[in-house]
Amino acid sequence: MKQGSKVTTHRYLSLLRYPLQQWRTLVVILALTAGTSATAILQPWPIKILVDYALGQASVPPVRWLLDDFNLSLTPPLLVVIAAVSSLGLYTLGATLDTGLNWAWSAAGQGMVYELAESLFYRLQRLSLLFHSQRTVGDSLSRLTGDAYCVYTLSSALLISPVQHLLTLATISIVAWNLDPSLTLLSLVVAPVMGGSALVFGARLKRRARLNREVQSRLTSFVHQTVTAIPMIQAFGRESFNTRQFEHLGADAVVLLQRETLLRSTYSLANGSITTVGSAIVLYMGGQQVLAGAISVGSLLVFLAYLQSIQGAFQGLFSIYGNLKSAEAHIDRVLEVLDAKDGVQDAPGARLLPAIAGARGHVCLEEVTFGYDPDYPPVLQDITLEARPGEIIALVGPTGAGKSTLVSLIPRFFDPWQGRVLFDGVDVRDVQLKSLRSQIALVLQEPFLLPLTIAENIAYGRPGASQEEIVAAARAANADEFIQRLPQGYDTLISERGAILSGGQKQRLAIGRALLKDAPVLILDEPTSALDARTEAMLLDALERLMAERTTFIIAHRLSTIQRADRIVVLEQGKVVEMGTHQELLAACGLYKHLHSLQFREEIVR
Amino acid sequence: MKLWWLRLTPYTLAHWRGLTFVMLLMLVNVGLNVLKPWPLKLIIDYVLGKQSFSGGDVWLKTLPGGESSSQLLGWLVGATIILFLASEGVRLIQEYVGAGVGSQMGYNLGAVLFDRLQRLSLRFHNQQHAGDLVRRVMTDSNCIRDLVMGVFLPVLTSLVSLVAMFAVLWQLNHLLSLLSLLVAPLIVILIWVFNQPMTERTYQHQRFEGEIMALSEQTLTALPVIQAFGREAHEDERFRYLSRKALQAYMGAILAQMQFKFGVSGVSAVGTAVIMLIGGFQVLNGSLSIGSLLVFLSYLASLYKPMETLAYISSGFAAAAASARRVLEVLDTKDEVREVPGAKPLILQSDRARGHVCLEGVTFGYGPGYPPVLQDITLEARPGEIIALVGPTGAGKSTLVSLIPRFFDPWQGRVLFDGVDIRDVQLKSLRSQIALVLQEPFLLPLTIAENIAYGRPGASQEEIVAAARAANAEAFIQRLPQGYDTVIGEWGATLSGGEKQRLAIGRALLKVAPVLILDEPTSALDARTEAMLLDALERLMAGRTTFIIAHRLSTIQQADRIVVLDRGRVVEIGTHEELLAGSSHYKRLYKLHFGSASPSVEI
Repeated sequence: MKQGSKVTTHRYLSLLRYPLQQWRTLVVILALTAGTSATAILQPWPIKILVDYALGQASVPPVRWLLDDFNLSLTPPLLVVIAAVSSLGLYTLGATLDTGLNWAWSAAGQGMVYELAESLFYRLQRLSLLFHSQRTVGDSLSRLTGDAYCVYTLSSALLISPVQHLLTLATISIVAWNLDPSLTLLSLVVAPVMGGSALVFGARLKRRARLNREVQSRLTSFVHQTVTAIPMIQAFGRESFNTRQFEHLGADAVVLLQRETLLRSTYSLANGSITTVGSAIVLYMGGQQVLAGAISVGSLLVFLAYLQSIQGAFQGLFSIYGNLKSAEAHIDRVLEVLDAKDGVQDAPGARLLPAIAGARGHVCLEEVTFGYDPDYPPVLQDITLEARPGEIIALVGPTGAGKSTLVSLIPRFFDPWQGRVLFDGVDVRDVQLKSLRSQIALVLQEPFLLPLTIAENIAYGRPGASQEEIVAAARAANADEFIQRLPQGYDTLISERGAILSGGQKQRLAIGRALLKDAPVLILDEPTSALDARTEAMLLDALERLMAERTTFIIAHRLSTIQRADRIVVLEQGKVVEMGTHQELLAACGLYKHLHSLQFREEIVR
Repeated sequence: MKLWWLRLTPYTLAHWRGLTFVMLLMLVNVGLNVLKPWPLKLIIDYVLGKQSFSGGDVWLKTLPGGESSSQLLGWLVGATIILFLASEGVRLIQEYVGAGVGSQMGYNLGAVLFDRLQRLSLRFHNQQHAGDLVRRVMTDSNCIRDLVMGVFLPVLTSLVSLVAMFAVLWQLNHLLSLLSLLVAPLIVILIWVFNQPMTERTYQHQRFEGEIMALSEQTLTALPVIQAFGREAHEDERFRYLSRKALQAYMGAILAQMQFKFGVSGVSAVGTAVIMLIGGFQVLNGSLSIGSLLVFLSYLASLYKPMETLAYISSGFAAAAASARRVLEVLDTKDEVREVPGAKPLILQSDRARGHVCLEGVTFGYGPGYPPVLQDITLEARPGEIIALVGPTGAGKSTLVSLIPRFFDPWQGRVLFDGVDIRDVQLKSLRSQIALVLQEPFLLPLTIAENIAYGRPGASQEEIVAAARAANAEAFIQRLPQGYDTVIGEWGATLSGGEKQRLAIGRALLKVAPVLILDEPTSALDARTEAMLLDALERLMAGRTTFIIAHRLSTIQQADRIVVLDRGRVVEIGTHEELLAGSSHYKRLYKLHFGSASPSVEI
């Protein structure tokens, strides 16, 4: 536990990088802060002038330059004017400094929040699919858009607040000490009591904040999952059930929020009581001194004003702890992403894969074992496989055999537990991810179109492709015809789930996208499973063109493409059970023959 | 939309008890706040200034020891503490109750919105981003809390304390209190000048924040493609662009706010200085006590504060209005798929729903401006019949079957279920008669058992296992460490497409419904798994009216009727044999698939 907190502190400091990038603004903020404390010292004096000198009987201390240079006699009416004017001046000065401070702090604060969000976004995009498979999209989203705010709290608590409050405390204490040492000591007595209450409440506040956040995010993911599965919800008539569940979770959230509010209010009540009792004591003692004639009424008023500043500074100092505590949960969630130990990233000094001309698309898997979760049995076991440039490798096997997982290892979406994947003879972990992935085009089961125009979707792998190239790719993917039929043609915006397009149309766009990318290695993961026979037939020549002179890994259930593969790899429960050409495997009378006869039984019967 | 806040009022009325209580506490607190500076005045005048007690303050003498300045000081200091504790105590209760009432109102409105969202047709959902809808339910529904707790109550508090403060000031000194009110018109001018830019820029900032959210969601959901196509840097660029824009908008909003704040402080500084000046002269005249002047000055701050609060209300109001607009937009969505008033449950119309489905002259399209997807479709499925739909991609097969559970309403024509137009029956009772297995399995992040029992919550473990077994899913479920209690991740990475589909089939099996819709249920499955599923599907289809969209022949061949669709029209209907006999569309499709695909096998 002790050690853990040490590590955390160290990690927190790593986040300070973001505020420190804005050090210029921070310097301005600190300078303005110093100005504000100075004004705070002067602020109560007009009242003293008014009460003691203008309206009271105290004699004005000699202010030589005023008397000599302006030859003024300080009559009470003049003193009233002086008090009013100086009050106006100090007020304005204070307001100006305050505005500047707020402005600078907003700029710096919001700036660093976005800066951190950018880093998070950067990191999230580059974390492997393994990381993402363990988290929901909603969770990552809330880290990005909600938790990033913690850097603001953190830098305020660690960089600004201590300086600001200590400065105020020091200057005001010195001035107050000169006014009356015993009253000053008396006003400093509140410090340990306030510190104690901060300690007592801080930890509880953090726990409450965490609970609150958890119930919120549960609710958010619940709404998210419901909204993304509307067809099922409606078909199974679960609307009312879900609404009740929402109300349930909402009621939990209300209770938690109320408890947090109660704790917060109690904390502020405790703090307020401490300061009020403190002030009351000072007021009583000070009043006695005024009665004894030791100090003037005006000085007492000045003192009371200082007391407020001192108490404010203490409150600020002690709330640092609580603020840090309540930001901790958010900080942890942010750091979890930033520090995520993810194997899949560029190794230091990773090389570029040889330029396009050199990349030939020679892919080897050597004794690869891989699973998604160490608690589960591996999905692939000891796979060895070679694809020479231009070869077509077909992967077949029952559902869940690990076919899709196997091809995901080639663009290094995941890193194997054991063994290695070689691309043109180089371990894929030794080359830059970007250069590796630029050599691989893929068409997956799910087309994953983005809410961009059709043209932008097709050109996704090659931004800046000309309109002709896009149209050519669409035509080759047999998508041109239906695109032309859309009112906006290539400029049609695809809505989130591509509603206007059928599954086959979306897949054809994905094929067009892969065609335009023009990479030496091609991965086809059941690209035609969503297409009917006629469309598939229309696509066969497109796929043929796509596969020409490319190393191709294809997962498909239909025989046409499998039959002409250079090698067919039969997977079962994560292991290669057979390998060879169509004829060889049929002759071997193994699993392949069995699968084959199953699928085509009906035709043979006919 | 002008009277949006009026439209939200009904949702607040349910909480009138809590609201009334909060308002009462607020009134008490205003009173206590008015009293707060009073002891200080008494101290300065009677204890330190040694004036003789005047007017209503004579009672102070009757306190034990009230004659002695020193003891009177003790009493008055004690009074400050008591006043403070009382007002803080009241505030604590007020905040506690207020937080509960406020968030409850938010969640209640959220629940209404959530309920409505779930019932809107797929046509609505097809045009919406999931992230945006989540934001409406989770964030925008708080507009009601912001409206009541952030606008209505503060306005009320401010107005009440303005009046109370002014009444007290008036008692102290007529001239000074009138002078202090002079500030009000200046503040009104400031509000008038800055209101527009403040709210507009705040709105702009929120818009950019929304765009950032949308971008992040799109990117994270399509991550495999983004990584494969190496577009991370490009997305970073877009994110950076948006966050820069958002920051700019934010700074603009802050700038306007700062100017306004500065203006307000300036105005109140001038007010304070004027009071000091005039009040000071009055003290010199002897028409005002020093204590009264000090109390006056401390009240001034309390007087300006509610004015400032009132000034900020308008931007809070505008923010709440923006959110409310997004909430009401959903609540007001005119969706043709809704129950007509007095719709009857389907089951009451005959003893037992039998599953007789008719489409009569149905024409349908997704959006005006797009050509219709289905044109003039007429089709009948008698109870227990199997209807196979075939045709090229985009012919409208999936759309056609979506009309049966009334995911959409046709533009023209009607759909009959057991002889009743489905627009005349309760949606829930209609949909409870239909089970479906779609291309996309749509599993939820629940346990496997909960997913299978989704259509029948409360199904026993035995029933769930039986359904899983019938769907050939049991074997792989048993292999998972947590078995039926394994929670499915959003990405379902630990399950393959085929496994997920088998769960979907199990789910449909467990829902006992006379009509079954199969939209390419086996397209994600390989031949062996499909073979294992055929008897499960057979069992599922037995005695049910079945609509099946499939590319494989096994199921199509045994259909009672095969409907060939092309570009939204029915081009042929008949049995497998009938259709093959003519030189038809079907024959061509059939040849394409089974002719060229495997010449070596077709002997």
